[in-house]
Amino acid sequence: MSKHQYEQISKAVTEGEEKDARRLVEEALAGNRPPEEILQQGVVAGITRAGELWKANEFFLPDVILAADAFKAAMSVLEPKLRATVNGKKGRKFVIGVVAGDMHDLGKSLVIAMLQSSGFEVIDLGIDVPREKFIDAVKTHQPAILGMGAYMTTTMLEMKSVIAELAGKNLRQGLKIMVGGVPTSQEFAKEVGADAWGKDALDTVKKALEMVGG
Amino acid sequence: MANTMGEMIHGMLYGKGFHVGHLTGLGRVVATMAGAHADTVAFMGPQIHDHAMRIAGVPAARYYREAELLVSTQMAVERWYGFDTYTIIPDAYNFEVEALGAKMIYSDNAMPTVDTNNPLIGGRIDLDKLGDLDPSKGRIPMAVEIARLVHDRVSGPLASGFFCSPFSLICQAMGYPGAVRALKRDQVLAKELFDFAENRAIFPYLKAQSLVGGKSATGADAWAAFPNLTPELVEQWVVPSAKRLAERGTKELGMSAAAGTAACDYCEEDPAKFDKQIMFNCWETGGKTMFIDAAFAGMGRTQDWNMEWLQEFAVTHGKKGKKKLIMASLNARFVRDSSPAQIADKVRQWIDIMGRDGKLMFFIANAPMDTPPVNIHTAVHAVRTFGRYPIAGDLNAIRLDPPAFKPFDEWLKGQPEEDVILKGREKV
Repeated sequence: MSKHQYEQISKAVTEGEEKDARRLVEEALAGNRPPEEILQQGVVAGITRAGELWKANEFFLPDVILAADAFKAAMSVLEPKLRATVNGKKGRKFVIGVVAGDMHDLGKSLVIAMLQSSGFEVIDLGIDVPREKFIDAVKTHQPAILGMGAYMTTTMLEMKSVIAELAGKNLRQGLKIMVGGVPTSQEFAKEVGADAWGKDALDTVKKALEMVGG
Repeated sequence: MANTMGEMIHGMLYGKGFHVGHLTGLGRVVATMAGAHADTVAFMGPQIHDHAMRIAGVPAARYYREAELLVSTQMAVERWYGFDTYTIIPDAYNFEVEALGAKMIYSDNAMPTVDTNNPLIGGRIDLDKLGDLDPSKGRIPMAVEIARLVHDRVSGPLASGFFCSPFSLICQAMGYPGAVRALKRDQVLAKELFDFAENRAIFPYLKAQSLVGGKSATGADAWAAFPNLTPELVEQWVVPSAKRLAERGTKELGMSAAAGTAACDYCEEDPAKFDKQIMFNCWETGGKTMFIDAAFAGMGRTQDWNMEWLQEFAVTHGKKGKKKLIMASLNARFVRDSSPAQIADKVRQWIDIMGRDGKLMFFIANAPMDTPPVNIHTAVHAVRTFGRYPIAGDLNAIRLDPPAFKPFDEWLKGQPEEDVILKGREKV
């Protein structure tokens, strides 16, 4: 029964069925399914599948936007339960967002899911995030790590501006910065003054864990 | 203006094979559009607003508020580079939503942007509250004056005002995700949004342009580029919307309103995902909103494309068996970040593939502010050198010397725009 439930959650997330995704997660929780299991086998599986379809040119940005909506709806129900069970460790706060002008949500959604399942408290600023919003979030939340993503060559340089502004406002001390997204690279991360480059969701979580001491 | 018709006729005849006389830039473009080829491959003026502002050294606070300064600056800078045509455009996506009340962020050194934290339209309720666009509000008077100046000073078919196309306007007003949700999930709302954009926002703005003599206006639609929208969604929403607006413009204003420019422009960023069939679908659908039979390659990562595909599409999909015009943009970031030698090599490669049988025009979709001027001069110089007809059999055998150009300020002396630009440098 649980496997079928997870498949349904996964399908709802992939297909961007926001209401179904939320309802199915609620039902799974009500049936005492472990939140981590729901996350991994249902929600993450669904958004991962959306990513595969995106890579295969079977999904396009509008489909991805809807899948990300369904992912967020599922996570809004799941997140409080995960926090209670994973027990987010001190110093594991991760602020994340996609830079201004860029609407690509999918990679970020995957990273968020995996960070949360690894015990990070994630503050998601969303997509098309203006520079000031990143600065304000760093001031307000004082995260261990700030992660920024971009999918387009036209928007990726915004990361450099954010990092420069953080430095200009003396907010860089004690803050690690990660960048990621299709057009980015290790060289780019170095060029813009980031501490690390997340090649993909798994790599991001691995490096994030290393930066906060595992 | 006086010679415009003569330049165009000369271009048409040249394109048909009557190779006499020296073509002007306009003649070169017309020859390429209407015939097979001109004396050299043509190079259209790019969208260049921030870059021109930087080159001319004028402050954003004035440049983005004073029509005369903006038009003079762009005309001077584009002539300095030696493009064949002018493209005079400010921050074209902002004017309508700003006039409707969207919160804007103004900066000292770059174009204004819409504050996406405070969208103008959150949902149907906000749409109902918005009135029709008042052409006296925001910077619409400036935009109308730009249209008038362009109409007076720029010759030929490219003397066009501008507007933000309906889908992009919706994105500017409510954010791209909200717009996409409406298209995919709430088609009633989507129809209301398009109706609002076409008839209550854009049309009053076009009317204001027509009252000062504007005969044509081009609607930028970068938000409708691929993969933001698929060819299917563009067919469903953008193409019919552009048609409605064009019909209303012609019927009620006697004006050509070309919405949907850059819709379906193939902008996939990941080279691993480049797909020939999808590219063909994009070029096919994108062509439906263009005023000529053309294959348009604008904002995408064109430096990594296989241009054999674009050439194949143009040759096999043209009307009446003739090759489509190829409008090929050197990617903005590529032009900014590459060396002059890399830019010259790219131009050489593209002309070798797409220019031999004519119907090729170069442009740059948007010249970033901090592009080294030598890079743009090199691009133009390389097109003039490698693109001379008949195209040399072995382009690699042609030596390209560095472009010769005066520093902008030295060149500006005695130009018609000198006074305006020099005065424009003074702070308000």
